[in-house]
Amino acid sequence: MRRLGKWVVAVPMAILALATIYPLIFTANVAMKTRREYVLDRFSLTESLHWDNVAAAWNSVGMARYFANSLFVVAASVFLLLWLGSMAGFALSRLPFRGSKALFIGFLAALFIPFQVIMVPIARVMADTGLIDTYPGLILAYVAQFLPFTVFLMTSYYRSVPREIVDAARIDGNTVYGVYRRIMVPIGRPALLSVGILDALFCWNDVLIALLMMPSADHRTLMVGVTSLRGQYTDNIPMFASGVLIAAVPVLLVYLFLQRQIADGVTAGSTKG
Amino acid sequence: MPTKNTSPAVRPTESGRAAGGGPREKSRHGAARRRGRSERFAPYVLVAPAVLIILALRLYPLALGVNFSFTGDGDANGTAVGLANYLELLDDPLFQTALANVGLLVLLLPVAVAIPGLLATFIFLKVPGHRIFRSVYFFPAVLSPVIVGAIFNLMLAFDGPLNELLGTIGLGPVDWLGDPGVAKFAVVGVQIWATFGMALVVFLAGFATLDASLLDAARVDGASLRQSIWHVIIPSLSQTIQFVFVTTMIGMLTSMFGLLFVMTSGGPEGSTYLPEYYIWIQQGQMNRPALASAASTVLFLIMLVVGLLQISVLRRAGRED
Repeated sequence: MRRLGKWVVAVPMAILALATIYPLIFTANVAMKTRREYVLDRFSLTESLHWDNVAAAWNSVGMARYFANSLFVVAASVFLLLWLGSMAGFALSRLPFRGSKALFIGFLAALFIPFQVIMVPIARVMADTGLIDTYPGLILAYVAQFLPFTVFLMTSYYRSVPREIVDAARIDGNTVYGVYRRIMVPIGRPALLSVGILDALFCWNDVLIALLMMPSADHRTLMVGVTSLRGQYTDNIPMFASGVLIAAVPVLLVYLFLQRQIADGVTAGSTKG
Repeated sequence: MPTKNTSPAVRPTESGRAAGGGPREKSRHGAARRRGRSERFAPYVLVAPAVLIILALRLYPLALGVNFSFTGDGDANGTAVGLANYLELLDDPLFQTALANVGLLVLLLPVAVAIPGLLATFIFLKVPGHRIFRSVYFFPAVLSPVIVGAIFNLMLAFDGPLNELLGTIGLGPVDWLGDPGVAKFAVVGVQIWATFGMALVVFLAGFATLDASLLDAARVDGASLRQSIWHVIIPSLSQTIQFVFVTTMIGMLTSMFGLLFVMTSGGPEGSTYLPEYYIWIQQGQMNRPALASAASTVLFLIMLVVGLLQISVLRRAGRED
């Protein structure tokens, strides 16, 4: 493109970038306002940073509790996903056994079963086994939901590990499990990081599975908590915005520091699939 | 060439190069053979937990759900009712709206793919500020639909910022989320806002594999940007484009629940229903799990058809070139 052409494109793109970021800035700004300030002029920059709204949302609405619930559920789910996913990925990529190809295709197929399609029977299975409204139940639901994706990406990654490394470790006297623990886990660290962040985002951002699995109020995850804010604070928008801000900030931080790993995970599926 | 995990092939030259720092003990044939027997099952042990979870919580429920859909609700719980649920679905105006909205999504799909495709092209061609654009555009894609929906509840409120902005140039106000003819477009627009960054990143990964000399050759031959996109970029990226089409459609069919739940609750007048929201309402609010299962099965079939159709269409298009 010629120089002038570049700027003709860059200006609309800059406006679009502003339009992408403005709703977030607007929300953060509103969260810092008093109710009076908001009613008088919702656009003006806040006169001062009123952290009272955020503190109130955190303490009195139960956001702190929901935050802790989410943190625990996400941590446990991601740990299990990475553990089970990397074991299966190792076996499917580097330990050919009878039916391993068919099994891999089975995992791929499971990737295309959306939760909406199986949500009614899952609710029944969970109720029958007494897992509904329990943390293990929700964690298990998340693991089942995101395991096909995790297995798929870990298998793809381990395929790029030279066979010689595995063979050499075996000759050195390692058992298969030893190879997994001493070679495949350390070597898989970049993939585990990328996939782990994506799994964490999926679990953290989910609302449907959490709504279905956790009916009682004090088991709510943060996203379910945000949906309940809406009804509670129809006349106190700054409070509502504060709750939204609390839920968005962790994701913002993860994004700022790990943007490249997130993009790697997203694109790994497209280039290896 | 690949050594089976049970055969103790000794290649001493390689043992010294073992990465990751395994123990450096010498290989002993006897030990390896004894180990071999207990380890023959090792691959199965490694995949077993994942396989069991997938079987129990994805494949079994899928079969169970299809089975549910042919049974009754309430008093008829568990008894076979044939196709009654499916007939009821077809008669239900809410489900009809949900299906019509799926049709609308399919029509809007090219737009949802073209926007990130075009933006990725410009970023690939290094417009000034392309690094910043990439980071900013991608950000909404990592936010939860719940947060996105909540933010746009503020932005699109009748007395909200967007209407105020339109007011300054003499337009509006528009009842974005309260007008049945407008709300569905507002929700789809927000969905595109929230996800185009994901497709953008996938496109950029596709561009990374593009042969730059082709583009240079086209430019030397005096091709305009439009000609380059049409004759070089699109044919070279057909696989990426296909992937984006399928994932965007799947995203529209299965990840808008959070937006609908927060922004419109299916309203106004049921105009923003999608199959996934219908399933949720029938299962959770109306206590009609069998009817919901029938809707689930329909959604699954839609996804199957959409996926296969798009792949075959794009295959054919690719072959004609």
